[in-house]
Amino acid sequence: MVQAVAVLAFAIRAQAEIRVSPAAVVLEGPESSQQLLAWSRPIDGRVRDATRSVQYEAADPRVASVDADGLVLPLSEGKTEISIRSAEGAARVPVEVIGMVRPKPIVFDLQVIPTLTKAGCNAGGCHGKAEGQNGFKLSVFGSNSHADWDALVKEGRGRRLFPAAPERSLLLVKATAEMPHGGGQRIDAGSLGYRRLRRWIAEGARFDGGGASPIAGIEVEPAQQILLAGETQQLRVTAVDAAGARRCVTVEADYESNAATIADVTRRGLIQAAEIPGEAAILVRYLGHVAVCRVTIPRPGVQFVRPPEANFIDRLAWDKLQRLGIKPSDLAGDAVFLRRAHLDVIGTLPSVEEAREFLADASADKRARLIDRLLARDEYADYWAMRFSDLLRVDRDRVTAPGAIATTRWLHRQFAENRSFDEFARQVVTAQGSVAGDGPAAFYRVLDTPDALARSISQLFLGVRIECAQCHHHPSERWGQDDYYALAGFFTGVTRKNLPTGQMAIFSRVGSDLPHPRDGRIVAARALGAAPAEFSNVPDRRTVLADWMTAPDNPFFAAAISNRLWAHYFGRGLVEPIDDLRATNPATNEPLLSALADHLREVRFDLKAFTRTLMNSRLYQLSSQSDESNASDEQNFSHAAWKALPAEVLLDAIVEVAQSPEKFDGWPLGYRAIQIWDNRMPSYFFQIFGRPVRASVCECERSNEPSISQALHLMNSPEISAKLRDRRGRVRRLADSALTPSEIVDELCLAALSRFPDDRERTVLLSAFDNGADRRAAVEDALWTLVNSKEFLYNH
Amino acid sequence: MRHEMHRSDQPCRERITRRRMLHVGGSGLLAGLSLPRLMELEALASTGEQAKAQACIFLFLEGGPSTIDMWDMKPEAPIEIRGPFRPIASSVPGTFVGEHCPLSARIAHKFTILRSHSHTDNGHSTGYHYLMTGYKPDFADGETRVPNNVLYPSIGSIVSRELGRRTSVPPYINLPHPMRGGGPGFYGSRFAPFVIESDPVQPDFEVKDLRLVEGVSRERLDRRRRMLDAFEQRDTGRPASGRAEAMATYYEKAHTLITSPEARKAFDIQAESESTRARYGHTSLGQCALLARRLVQGGCRFVGIDHSGWDSHFTIFPSLEKDMLPHADRAFSALVEDLDERGMLDSTLVVMMGEMGRTPRVNAAAGRDHWSMAQSVIFAGGGVKPGQVLGATDKQAAYPVTDPVSIQDILRTLFQQLGIDTTKTYLTPLGRPVPIVNGGRIIPGLV
Repeated sequence: MVQAVAVLAFAIRAQAEIRVSPAAVVLEGPESSQQLLAWSRPIDGRVRDATRSVQYEAADPRVASVDADGLVLPLSEGKTEISIRSAEGAARVPVEVIGMVRPKPIVFDLQVIPTLTKAGCNAGGCHGKAEGQNGFKLSVFGSNSHADWDALVKEGRGRRLFPAAPERSLLLVKATAEMPHGGGQRIDAGSLGYRRLRRWIAEGARFDGGGASPIAGIEVEPAQQILLAGETQQLRVTAVDAAGARRCVTVEADYESNAATIADVTRRGLIQAAEIPGEAAILVRYLGHVAVCRVTIPRPGVQFVRPPEANFIDRLAWDKLQRLGIKPSDLAGDAVFLRRAHLDVIGTLPSVEEAREFLADASADKRARLIDRLLARDEYADYWAMRFSDLLRVDRDRVTAPGAIATTRWLHRQFAENRSFDEFARQVVTAQGSVAGDGPAAFYRVLDTPDALARSISQLFLGVRIECAQCHHHPSERWGQDDYYALAGFFTGVTRKNLPTGQMAIFSRVGSDLPHPRDGRIVAARALGAAPAEFSNVPDRRTVLADWMTAPDNPFFAAAISNRLWAHYFGRGLVEPIDDLRATNPATNEPLLSALADHLREVRFDLKAFTRTLMNSRLYQLSSQSDESNASDEQNFSHAAWKALPAEVLLDAIVEVAQSPEKFDGWPLGYRAIQIWDNRMPSYFFQIFGRPVRASVCECERSNEPSISQALHLMNSPEISAKLRDRRGRVRRLADSALTPSEIVDELCLAALSRFPDDRERTVLLSAFDNGADRRAAVEDALWTLVNSKEFLYNH
Repeated sequence: MRHEMHRSDQPCRERITRRRMLHVGGSGLLAGLSLPRLMELEALASTGEQAKAQACIFLFLEGGPSTIDMWDMKPEAPIEIRGPFRPIASSVPGTFVGEHCPLSARIAHKFTILRSHSHTDNGHSTGYHYLMTGYKPDFADGETRVPNNVLYPSIGSIVSRELGRRTSVPPYINLPHPMRGGGPGFYGSRFAPFVIESDPVQPDFEVKDLRLVEGVSRERLDRRRRMLDAFEQRDTGRPASGRAEAMATYYEKAHTLITSPEARKAFDIQAESESTRARYGHTSLGQCALLARRLVQGGCRFVGIDHSGWDSHFTIFPSLEKDMLPHADRAFSALVEDLDERGMLDSTLVVMMGEMGRTPRVNAAAGRDHWSMAQSVIFAGGGVKPGQVLGATDKQAAYPVTDPVSIQDILRTLFQQLGIDTTKTYLTPLGRPVPIVNGGRIIPGLV
């Protein structure tokens, strides 16, 4: 009996309901529209989009119409109902149409601008270019509505608009390509956009008709969805104004996919999943507001077995891989882990002795202990000072040799003493004193305008690239010119003074707010997304910025450095480019990035503690060997990445393996490449292997692209050859020793690859000694082989 | 995911070739046998269409040449447009060129001026990319680092992929430094240019690391390489990452370069007589053009010469008169005549252009600014009908008054002359189809 009731209840529910959103529709004004979304019953816990497979019918076709795509349009004032039917059931949505008899006048910047944006008129390649297009210039993406209004209404000798016969306006006949238009047809005659432009002209092309209120944000439904290959999903976009009023802008918004080959999106907001498993973020833009819908296309039919979890990183990484149906690789072997950990933490190969010892160690916690040992090594500070010298632009030509030395030394001490990163950032942001003194003041010599500082500090510490907003509203972010000049306002008190010593000193004076470049209006200094800063009794404005930046609730700071470190250890950022964090460029694993940021705050920005957590995760210790299921995965960390060695690290590695030191011009013998502060020291090796010139705060300056010149140099250059045959080098020592060829090959392999050769490899390397070959030549050839192997040239 | 790249709707030839090539790529390119196999496959990939040109020398005047002062003079225009230079008669009756291109004027019957090239990208790095690929870039002007998979392959990389190597000389070479828009894009580093990072005008010019190291004979290098091949076979069947795999392909190319006498001969500009070197001019562009001729003789398919310094926003005329024009005039005319005398002009297409032209109106700083709406492009050899002027611009050389010729038109024509099947399409690593050339038509009257 109980069972029968349950079956009956299910039947009734199935018969009665298909889910439709929204539950009720109000359409206001002739150009309004409402997208309906219809959903299937859940199958395997997944609800599918049925918007284009159900039937729609308007009860009173005089009041509203509805098309097969679920778009409701107003026809006349009144009330009616849309009925929705499918094999699964039925639903009804009440519709009310208002504002048709006496529509509210059109507001230029809220209604005309988005129409032009959607049609692409103000895109950077068309009329939005700095010089406009064929004499007609619009601000890019409608960032300056007053100028656009002037351009349409007043310029072009008034030909662009013709209120007496709106449809004869140049704006409309060009946009519809009725008259030849270089940009082709952008708007269909009769479309909503067309009718809106025509009504706006007919109403007298007013700037502010008072008929709409500014919107506070947009919402997209669904915000995430799992699709199978080939499936589609209609989006619904709703604009919400400050008073909470909602209207549908699905047909007016702009759509863009960050991975069109995985899931593309049409102008109507219809997502189309392709055949390839993966993830895509669909970016929705409307009037400077952005929203994102994340789409996942899982690999079908994968039996996912969750590997053990060492910490939260593994849990969140497995969650993601499970959702996508990608298997993680096995744990890397000890030798691979040893080499990887050394190269990542200290930019230095393990020595032969270290490798022997680690491989022989049978204790269970040897990996964790190795991580601790590496973080305590002196080379940790060398290596990380070098990496941050790139970011802080320690360029000898810009800051002079004493400035470069001072900054490098300061950086070295920060990492040696494990300065917490919030304190580190504070010291950089508020640096003062002599450029050659003990501190990062040289940063203010390289970056010598409030503008440049705002841009660079924002990219470096917040992972926010606001440079677009210098000239116009950031096309895919919420930052506008106000935000840009408000941030630059923190640096207006920075003063540079030449000292009698020939050096420069950085001082801080009371700063002032900057004028907006367009209208000269003073923009109060404030941090990104923050309230205007309070400077009373603050001698140095920058301290207020540093406080905001390092506060526990800062939304950018912890995530930005977490992502930067992650990218270093895992070969790719959770967000790429690693310093471009924004809603429209989401992380490949958002929960993981936010957990990392939380963790960093928990450990009080202790970078060593944070690094320990990264490296003790099973994820970090996975093998780089991939299988069919995960070979193509490049963003979910299912296997370790092959990372090119930075130029300096590679040179040090060759030096170490050959035991033949590099003599750097002007440096005592024995200095290592990662210790060289002079980025301008001429070096063919550094040039072809992509040492950055420190021209920007972007890590991307360091190129890791291979080239034929690199191959030529490694296999056939006098320089490398001289290292292999150095009289005091490893090759000569081994060749002249009493060791057997097999023992020699062991040592060479341990030195280059941190492991013993397997039987086949041993045979190959021993063949160098065949037929009474000269022992020195044989050892040299064997080492040449190892140094030129992929396994040596990459950190994997 | 590799197998998913091959969709069943791809043409059969393309599908097989790609799979075979990938197979080769995955199983150790260092194996001695793989090179002939690779060449065979690459030969399969090309179409056997009748080629008029065997090679192309692309003189890229980076920054945007002021072609209104060179090939499209407007003597009737006001002084602020026509500038101070006068037109002079050329060897073709009725064709006039700028007075600072006298050497080219004498051989005007050997090349053709296209005056109606026009596009809408006024940025340097974006315009460069657009011009070299035929696709609008997905990045902002001035941005230097862009993920490979949103980048399109450049002309040289396409030529390299479609025609492959003729000899041990790399099929695609850049000199005297990399061309910013000349990368392989999503084709991958296998089709990247070999960059001669050295300027042949320097007295000590040498392609570094090409000569065998002292004490290492050819036999010993071969032996080492065999050991390396054998050592690396440990990885057979295991796909390495893209970058590591790319390194392997470079090793193969590097080895071929070192060991082949013809390659070293091609790079040896010092083998040219002083009179020949002087004829091209002792300038970067001149010696690059001369080296380009040697490289083509040696088997290179596409030489891209990046000659910068044309972006004259300030006091343009002294710079044009003293440096830019005499250098370009001498280099270009010497190259065309030299190729002609050697019987190579018919099989070598020479193209000279930049990413844009310059504004007709001289600006307040006595310079000319970016102007992509009109640029004259020079074509010679490779089946081009010489001695013509094609297209025309308005009275100010601001806009074409004849059918504008797009960059896609230029690329399609160039590929056709080289015998490349322009209907081919390749898939990006994520599976998006990208045709070799994005539309365009054969430039009417040019060939």
